[in-house]
Amino acid sequence: MKTILSFLKPYKLPIIIAYSLTFIELIADLLFPIFLGIMINEGVLKNNLENLIMWGSMMLGITIFTFACGIINSYFSSHVSISFAYDIREKLFAKIQDFTFEKLNLYPTSTLVTRFTNDVRQIQNTIFMALRIMVRAPLLVIGSVIMALIVNVKISLIFLIIVPLLIAFLYWVLIKGSNMFNKVQESVDYVNRVIQENIAGMRIIKAFFRRDFENVRFKESNEQLAKETKNTFRFVEASMPILLFVMNISLIFILWFGNKQTIAGTTNVGDVVAIVNYALRTVMAISMFTFIALAFSRAKASAERLEKILTEETTANTSNHNNQKVIQGKIQFQEVSFNYPTESVSVLENISFSLRPGERLAVIGATGSGKTTLFQLIPKLYEAQKGTIFIDDYPLSAYHVDELRKSIGYVSQIPLLFTGTIADNIKFGKENASQEEVIKAAKDAQIHETIENFPKKYATIVGQRGVNLSGGQKQRISIARALIRKPKILMLDDSTSALDSTTEAYLLESLRKYDCSILMITQKISTAKKADRILLMDEGKILAIGTHNELLNISDLYQKIVDSQFEKEFPYVQ
Amino acid sequence: MSSNQLKQPFQYKKIPLDFKRSQKEKRAKNTAGTIRRLSTYLATEKWKLLLVILMVIVSSSLGLLGPYLVGMAIDDFIVAKQAAGLGLLIIWLVIIYALHSLSIFLQNFWMIGIAQNTVYTLRKQLFEQFHQLPIAFFDKRQQGELMSRVTNDIDNINNTLNQSVIQIFASIITLIGTISVMLWLSPLLTLITITIIPLLFLAMRWITKRTGPLYKIQQNDLGELNGYVEEIVSGQHIVKTFSQEERVIREFEKRNRQLKLSGFWAQTIAGYIPKVMNSLNFLSFALIAFFGGILAIKGYITVGVIVIFTEYARQFTRPLNELSNQFNILLSAVAGAERVFSVLDEKREESDEENASKLDQVKGYFQFKDVSFSYEDTPVLKNIQLEVQPGDTVAFVGHTGAGKTTLINLISRFYNYEEGKILLDNQELRNIKRSSLRSHMAFVLQDTFLFSTTVRENIRYGKLDATDEDVELAAKRANAHHFIERLPNGYDTRLDQEGGSLSQGEKQLLAIARAMIREPSILILDEATSNIDTITELKIQEGLKRLMKNRTSFIIAHRLNTIQQADRIVLLENGRIIEIGNHEKLMNLRGNYYRLYSDINNKEV
Repeated sequence: MKTILSFLKPYKLPIIIAYSLTFIELIADLLFPIFLGIMINEGVLKNNLENLIMWGSMMLGITIFTFACGIINSYFSSHVSISFAYDIREKLFAKIQDFTFEKLNLYPTSTLVTRFTNDVRQIQNTIFMALRIMVRAPLLVIGSVIMALIVNVKISLIFLIIVPLLIAFLYWVLIKGSNMFNKVQESVDYVNRVIQENIAGMRIIKAFFRRDFENVRFKESNEQLAKETKNTFRFVEASMPILLFVMNISLIFILWFGNKQTIAGTTNVGDVVAIVNYALRTVMAISMFTFIALAFSRAKASAERLEKILTEETTANTSNHNNQKVIQGKIQFQEVSFNYPTESVSVLENISFSLRPGERLAVIGATGSGKTTLFQLIPKLYEAQKGTIFIDDYPLSAYHVDELRKSIGYVSQIPLLFTGTIADNIKFGKENASQEEVIKAAKDAQIHETIENFPKKYATIVGQRGVNLSGGQKQRISIARALIRKPKILMLDDSTSALDSTTEAYLLESLRKYDCSILMITQKISTAKKADRILLMDEGKILAIGTHNELLNISDLYQKIVDSQFEKEFPYVQ
Repeated sequence: MSSNQLKQPFQYKKIPLDFKRSQKEKRAKNTAGTIRRLSTYLATEKWKLLLVILMVIVSSSLGLLGPYLVGMAIDDFIVAKQAAGLGLLIIWLVIIYALHSLSIFLQNFWMIGIAQNTVYTLRKQLFEQFHQLPIAFFDKRQQGELMSRVTNDIDNINNTLNQSVIQIFASIITLIGTISVMLWLSPLLTLITITIIPLLFLAMRWITKRTGPLYKIQQNDLGELNGYVEEIVSGQHIVKTFSQEERVIREFEKRNRQLKLSGFWAQTIAGYIPKVMNSLNFLSFALIAFFGGILAIKGYITVGVIVIFTEYARQFTRPLNELSNQFNILLSAVAGAERVFSVLDEKREESDEENASKLDQVKGYFQFKDVSFSYEDTPVLKNIQLEVQPGDTVAFVGHTGAGKTTLINLISRFYNYEEGKILLDNQELRNIKRSSLRSHMAFVLQDTFLFSTTVRENIRYGKLDATDEDVELAAKRANAHHFIERLPNGYDTRLDQEGGSLSQGEKQLLAIARAMIREPSILILDEATSNIDTITELKIQEGLKRLMKNRTSFIIAHRLNTIQQADRIVLLENGRIIEIGNHEKLMNLRGNYYRLYSDINNKEV
């Protein structure tokens, strides 16, 4: 809760203003029964009309004043709660951007999205309420008790016994309720995850006609959720009738006792009327308590979930003392080993090799041999447990992560484009790129002509909400996205797999214009042959490195791969 | 940035609102329809709903009776300084209050049941609907947007139903009850109390006219933000490698600011409501105290009546307050329900023809007779004629957009062909149940989707009643066994979302194993071999060859050797078949295929 509440700090002044305004309304609320009592005692019972007029206009004036306070309060409370939500969302998003890959893998996308929407909104609403109404209820109770005590201590003593009991009861409901809501939210998350998975995998589900199977799977979790929600709401809402009953009984007690007192002449009628009025007010306020308990327990559960993310540790990526820039693009691996934190099998073992500036190195190897992992170490997406990677003779740690990544053009295996125009997507590599630069990158990536053939050309919307591009088109756009950066190191992770060999050849040729070292993972010998040297990997180790001819001589596996490949790709496929 | 530094609440930019009549009326009509539809869900448990309403009536009447008796007690016993008879009244009061609490408890208990069952049903229907929608529906939409239907909108409905129904009934009943009792006690004082109603009405109209559109804007902004978060989180590796964190944060801020603005106005203006109510409460209290006092002096009413009136006036503005409050909450829930219903109303995949039959055995003899197909008014396939013998392997070749994928979509009936006929074993595809058709098919699709469960269950997905031995056998035949054994927990390794740490090749091997286990008569492969290394691929080809034997296979193929070995090569261009035949035949034809083939060979040499 601490972290979340600290987001309120910048809004101290508006909070104080909002509370003061609420307080003014509250005072009016508490004064009115006293005025009524006075009007009865002094005005009605004594036939004094002037008294009535005086107190009546006083009440009218107060009413107008509190109305103004209320409206202004609305602005301040809204400002606080909305800004608070805004700040949290911003921090949350920035935090996620800071997450390492390992951290990110802990949170499925769907749960992160719910954090941004449901959880933040829950807290935002609660704060808004807290600033306006919620405090009213407890303060009204306390105020009523105090006022009643002032009016007549003896009759009001009952409040002093009942109210603390009720508060203790409510506290218990709140704690238990928030635990229950936590569980409900977990179930909601799970149900949403199942749905999200179904939406994402709909094609496969349909292909295998697994509708019924999925329905059964979903039904269980949906039922579980419905059951838990019922129990939780029932529990929390049951508190209201209990509270009401207790308060009403105290009211009856006041009547009975007040009757005795007035007969004995120790209390006057106006006092009893005022106290009964306070008791009724308390009853009313109490009925709001359940609502408050409900909101608070939900907000608490949400806050805890948000806090978990906000307090996740993110590795400080900064080693600022040595702010190197990549100039040549020379790469050297020195006895690098790596395994994913959650797995025991090591993915890379003792990798050593080097790459001259401007050299092209093809990396080939079987599925799971560690090629992609090797790639991901260079832009520091993951960090090696052992060994050192040097760029331009400086270890990676000498570079600021941003600086390092700025000099790298990385094209991942799955070409992912963001919603936006093609131009926007290419510019993702270099934000302030000119249209000429975009076109040049697209031309070099052999996608310019295709784009020109779209009706809206570079303004064609792509990504999740845009047109469907073929795998090859996506690959080439993501290559353009990397090229526009004019990288010192270009990394292609099997990024030409969906291109026909003619296009691929043109593409590789046009890369020569770029002054950069190139690392490319490929499955195709024909592609690999176009590199200066070839690195052959198997099960996390380097089997051989050298030119095509050298490898033919020294590696049986390479020989086998070459034999197995007809070295021909059908050119008609994109 | 600037709005980030807003120090006080009077700096927010105004949002221009469109109050145009026609729009509002249309909306109102929609709203009424949506509410009616939502209430049919509640009505499925009629007797329970009736009980709830009964309990609401009981609790509301008792809620009115209580204060009345209290007022009586004041007049008869306290003002009159009488003790005799008070005991009996008190017993009555205890009983009334006990029943009051009990009826509140019961109405909540039952209503929560009804509400949760409704939400359960809505979720279920939405989920089932997703499965009934044509694939094209998903191709067109963003995942995050669909998810927001399931999360935000349903959540909104959930929160509303729990309370709103009770509140609305209770408010109406209390309102009627209060006014009648007040009239009975003192028509004149009632009239004075009621004067606040026109004020209330005007204020409410002013407010709701603004909050309605504001809520809609806010909901849109929220959806926008959702979609962005979803996209950026799933594309995090791109953001990281391009070190564009700052930029996406900036982009996010834009959307966040948008939401802040609309949220501020929606909340502020909606926040007027309780304040208006509160002030009107004060006002009516003041009026009753003043005029009541005068009437009491003149002897028309007693002091007790004033006390009752001040209490009733509160009881009378409160339901109005509740009604307007609930009205707002209801509006946002209705907006959510509207979006949920719009998905439920989406046109479903055409259901099977009435007389569609089941297939017990499939030979796999396909005939395409003059098949044409358009997607969103663009013709994609034109006059396709093709005959495929049982057990044949057909390779579709052609540029993107030539119609390869569409043909496959027609064969598996993800899409419905419009013109011409496709026959399987001399029976028209339309006359075969989809479930039956697909039970004879296995798929290995371009994007290999895996479920977040164990490797074993992912393979078993192809055949739910397969034994563990079957699973391993399939894995072995797909050459997936070797790498699975190397995983931390072997076959019981849990895959996280979408395959997680597996490589593309490994995912494809699993997808192939999943197809293997099905023992299909018809096999459909969509560029499945593009990402697997040559050695593994060679083994797969072996496995696939075994699998394809005596099964009709349709392949969108990449590799020349796959194509060369196909019984039929279908060369597509712009939705037409331009050449058809096996490798030798097409080479002898010296047409497009030949040119392409020689092209590469020349280059390679």
